[in-house]
Amino acid sequence: MRLTRTVTVGVAFALAAGLGLAGCSKKENASGSGGSGDGKIKVAFVPKLQGIPYFEAMNTGGRQAAADLGVEWIYKGPTTADPGAQTEVVKSLIQQRVDVLVVAPNDPDSMAPILKDAQSRGIKVMTSDTDAPNSVRELFVNQATAEGIGQTVTDALLEKMGGKGEYAIVSCGQTAGNLNSWIAVQRKYTAEKYPDAKIVDVVYAGEDEAKATSMAKDLMNAHPKLTGLVGECTTSAPGVAKAVRETGKIGKVFTVGVGTPASMKPYLMDGSSSTSVLWDVEQLGYLTVWAGTQLKKGTPLQATNKVSDKLPAVKYFPDQKMLLLGDPLRITKDNVGNYNY
Amino acid sequence: MTALARPWTRRPAAGAIEGQEAVLIGVIALLWTALGLSVDTFFTASNLQNILATVAPVTIVGVGMTAVIVTAGIDVSVGSTMAVVMVIVAQQLRDGGLAFAPAVGLALLVGGVLGLINGALVGYGRVHPIIITFGTLNLYRFVALQIFGGREVAGVPGTLGPLGGGAEGRTFGLPHSWLLAVALAALMWAYMRHVPTGRHLYAIGGDAEAARLAGVRVTRRLLTVYAVTGLLAGLAACCMIGGGGLVAQSAGTGMELQVIAAVVIGGTSIQGGRGTVLGTVLGALLVGTVTSAVTLLSWPNELTSLFIGVFILVAVGSDLLRERRRRSL
Repeated sequence: MRLTRTVTVGVAFALAAGLGLAGCSKKENASGSGGSGDGKIKVAFVPKLQGIPYFEAMNTGGRQAAADLGVEWIYKGPTTADPGAQTEVVKSLIQQRVDVLVVAPNDPDSMAPILKDAQSRGIKVMTSDTDAPNSVRELFVNQATAEGIGQTVTDALLEKMGGKGEYAIVSCGQTAGNLNSWIAVQRKYTAEKYPDAKIVDVVYAGEDEAKATSMAKDLMNAHPKLTGLVGECTTSAPGVAKAVRETGKIGKVFTVGVGTPASMKPYLMDGSSSTSVLWDVEQLGYLTVWAGTQLKKGTPLQATNKVSDKLPAVKYFPDQKMLLLGDPLRITKDNVGNYNY
Repeated sequence: MTALARPWTRRPAAGAIEGQEAVLIGVIALLWTALGLSVDTFFTASNLQNILATVAPVTIVGVGMTAVIVTAGIDVSVGSTMAVVMVIVAQQLRDGGLAFAPAVGLALLVGGVLGLINGALVGYGRVHPIIITFGTLNLYRFVALQIFGGREVAGVPGTLGPLGGGAEGRTFGLPHSWLLAVALAALMWAYMRHVPTGRHLYAIGGDAEAARLAGVRVTRRLLTVYAVTGLLAGLAACCMIGGGGLVAQSAGTGMELQVIAAVVIGGTSIQGGRGTVLGTVLGALLVGTVTSAVTLLSWPNELTSLFIGVFILVAVGSDLLRERRRRSL
């Protein structure tokens, strides 16, 4: 009995060690082959999390740009939204000696020293989607400003609510910096522009659609006069719409959210969601590759840049070293069919 | 033989409702009264329906988890099991146009197989179940992510609506999912209390080696409880899909902790050998009520974690006290 346990533990360790070694040797190979590249500029992007539709859409745009611009595009991210796992991916890319390293950091502060390390090895470092403001990054590709998102969400909702009434927000991670900055704008903008409207509560459902639905129902029960709900992220946006649909309050309670077109489509069609506010994620990927290529070539950015036919005038803010994709996109039942992510 | 058998055959003589359960009923009654007085909309149908429909999946999985924990085991992989079931069933509902009964059947099959794998590893592996199921938690999550293949499943049709939180998911105002949870709990309660193989679960939790010497088929019982838990996770996944919509990669994340919290708050000893399904039903209801109450009262969200944390510590603490008192007798 004791012997079997010892053997089991031994086997487990041996397996773990074996896997670890296999991982290492794979990495060696990758860096070996990486060194003998064909001279193309290599732009690597590390998303917060691999495999979710949002970043896969960025990947699609990035691949397109790489084909158009004749550069090599590497897309590699962690399988959990964990700063440690992301750090490992970034380190392995530094080993591969990419030319441009773009990161959407899970934890901006812990990413900063690694970006510094990359820069000291001659790699151009950038952030995209999420910034690491206290780092050495040379450029940040911003999808939208907090003002842009917060104001568009507020306007879209209050158009439906007739400019007045009570509404509540179902957000996701309580510490998510970008969501909190949007909420701050929504609070301020609502108070200034819509004095007869009021945000009665802000709740946090995590990245959990079912919990967002349940909390949205709680909010409607707690505030019988509620006529609006905001789903602040891509899981709570369909969550609040589902709550309105399931309680039969379509047309009485309006919802607006930051959701991906595919997930919002059924709710936009039946009216349980009025508008989804997002940006063109594929174009964000496209712009990221374009910007990385300019950076590596040393081409200075203009105040307004023509990137492609779809991105005719991208603004550059030299004081913040920031490229701005543009105004947020309003997705409604009329244009939701144009996007396939 | 009879001497060994005594510690668990003696238990049915105890009252149907034991200490922790009576306390829980009291706490829930107090809480509901207080909420009824402070929130005018608390005793409305829509609010109570939401609470019951929300606790149903936790209760359903909790029925299996209670049996697992009574054997001194644990299954932390249930959230990942649900994720695998949810993605497979959601894709089949959307792309294959699966009907209600085959969809539930598929969910039970997938959940049952994953549970059986846990059971086989625990029964034959002789490694602590927390290690085994922690391993399968990661493995099953990997499998789920592979099946997602980089895309969430959006636009799932409402085929499983009768198990969901919408109007079609209710009869006489009561959510089907919760009625199902109560029926399953009643079955498991009767099994663990009155059927010999059900009593054996307590014996295994008390001392597996002694139980084996007394003729209990330990491996077979363990296989069964983990398989049943997987099966129930599959059923709970159907309730989570419910009226359809979005099944995202985060599906089922953290479910294991909610379920274990309900079981432990319900008075089941984490050391095994003691506990009832009735306690788990009440534990889940208490956690669900508190979660909902924090929003209803417009209190800050994070208080939910505080309350649940306190409940768990109080429940485990009182369990340890009871254990010490029993030993000193």
